[in-house]
Amino acid sequence: MHIPDGILPAQVCIAGYGLTGLVTWYSLRQINRKGDPSDQIPKASLLTAAFFVASSIYIPIPPSSVHLVLNGLLGVVLGYFAYPAILIGLFFQALVVGHGGLTTLGVNASMMGIPALMAYHIFQLRRVGSKADKRESLDDSFDGRAQRIRVGLFAFLGGSIGLAIAALIFTGIVITTVPADFDFDTERAAIVSLLILHLPLALLEGTFTAMLAVFLHRVKPELLTGR
Amino acid sequence: MALANFETYVPGRSRLHTWTPRLKLVSLGLLMFAFAAVRHLALVPPMLCLTAVLYLLSELPFSFLLKRLSYPGLFILVVVLVLPFSTGETVLWQWGALALRQEGIETMFLILGRFLSILTLGFILLGTTPFVTLLRALRSLGLPTLIADMTLLSYRYLFETAEMLSTMQRSMRLRGFGQQRRKFRLQRQDLQRLAGLLGTLLVRSYERSERVYKAMQLRGYGQLKRPVENPSIDSSSALLTGFSVIAALSFVIVEFSLPAVNL
Repeated sequence: MHIPDGILPAQVCIAGYGLTGLVTWYSLRQINRKGDPSDQIPKASLLTAAFFVASSIYIPIPPSSVHLVLNGLLGVVLGYFAYPAILIGLFFQALVVGHGGLTTLGVNASMMGIPALMAYHIFQLRRVGSKADKRESLDDSFDGRAQRIRVGLFAFLGGSIGLAIAALIFTGIVITTVPADFDFDTERAAIVSLLILHLPLALLEGTFTAMLAVFLHRVKPELLTGR
Repeated sequence: MALANFETYVPGRSRLHTWTPRLKLVSLGLLMFAFAAVRHLALVPPMLCLTAVLYLLSELPFSFLLKRLSYPGLFILVVVLVLPFSTGETVLWQWGALALRQEGIETMFLILGRFLSILTLGFILLGTTPFVTLLRALRSLGLPTLIADMTLLSYRYLFETAEMLSTMQRSMRLRGFGQQRRKFRLQRQDLQRLAGLLGTLLVRSYERSERVYKAMQLRGYGQLKRPVENPSIDSSSALLTGFSVIAALSFVIVEFSLPAVNL
């Protein structure tokens, strides 16, 4: 789901960089508001490397297999660091495998990163209604199970909505800016079929994000604190 | 995962290798955006010629370009090969329901021309500039420290993390993961195990990052803010920059002075 070089008009590429600049500035501002971020940089960097590498994991769906986008999961785990992480990951991907491109880096980063930040905020909603002073409960008590359900549910929503919105933006950009005079009906049919194709992927991404969030909640809950 | 190809720099002493990195980045970037603005088929040959001249000046081997272009080239071919059969009014050739249309062919050549030129310029930039120098150039152009540090650290640990993942995947396979042949159904257990695999990778990376941060602190990380040094600009760099900026502006001016096209 990366847009390569040469497809989009220059205006869209420049607008993508403009939007990425703006969202990066906002993300850095939010990161700096929580004090000196230098202790968070190594964590965010190593997790960025791990996410980049993990995007090569294939999920076997016999008779074929798919690979996950993980943008919602990035938002869930990294919070506002997700946007710079996606920017860096896409830059590496353009370098390593030629996925995406340098002129479309801004567009691709916005397409993946903004839904990732939305996924972060959706995941933060798990705390709404629960007592702020309540400690993470990891045992099999009622509290522990309720917390796990909340983590799983909001991670599922974050993961699936993150991918669904990215797919929506991707489809919109490709259909409206590809220099081809498709008629209105063809465009509509293409949009609908692309979105229907992405629906099961969004559900899969959500399920995977939920499973992983519950795993991290049990094993290393501080990874999900959302800083 | 093809991480062995990550370092794209090809050592050399060409004019493009010695071009001041900051100016090279800006000039080639401007050219890339000017090429992205091209919508007239008439501008595709000069665009490809200019790219070829720059590639020859860079003295990069042709095999480097072929190797790098093969994967994204295949991808774009799949995308654009549909165009001659799906868009346009003027039918050039018809066989049953299959019709080859002129406008579609023109759009295909336009996209391919832009794609080839922009990608080649990107490879010239990456092939003649070491990754760390490129990052320093970006830093001197205003890239925030946090992003520069994150990029360097992620780059540093990318290979080790990839190695860690491949070891973990090998252990999973040795323990029987993926050995059962299932025909049409994704098993919940498989997904759970893959989530565990990625989760473990994240936990290990997180724990390593705590040790890395302590080591960085001991070496004085964050204590001394050094200003970014900008190397002096030689006459050859100035000439190349001037030439690229004029070429980029010419493409944009000619593009917008030509009558609008519906490609």
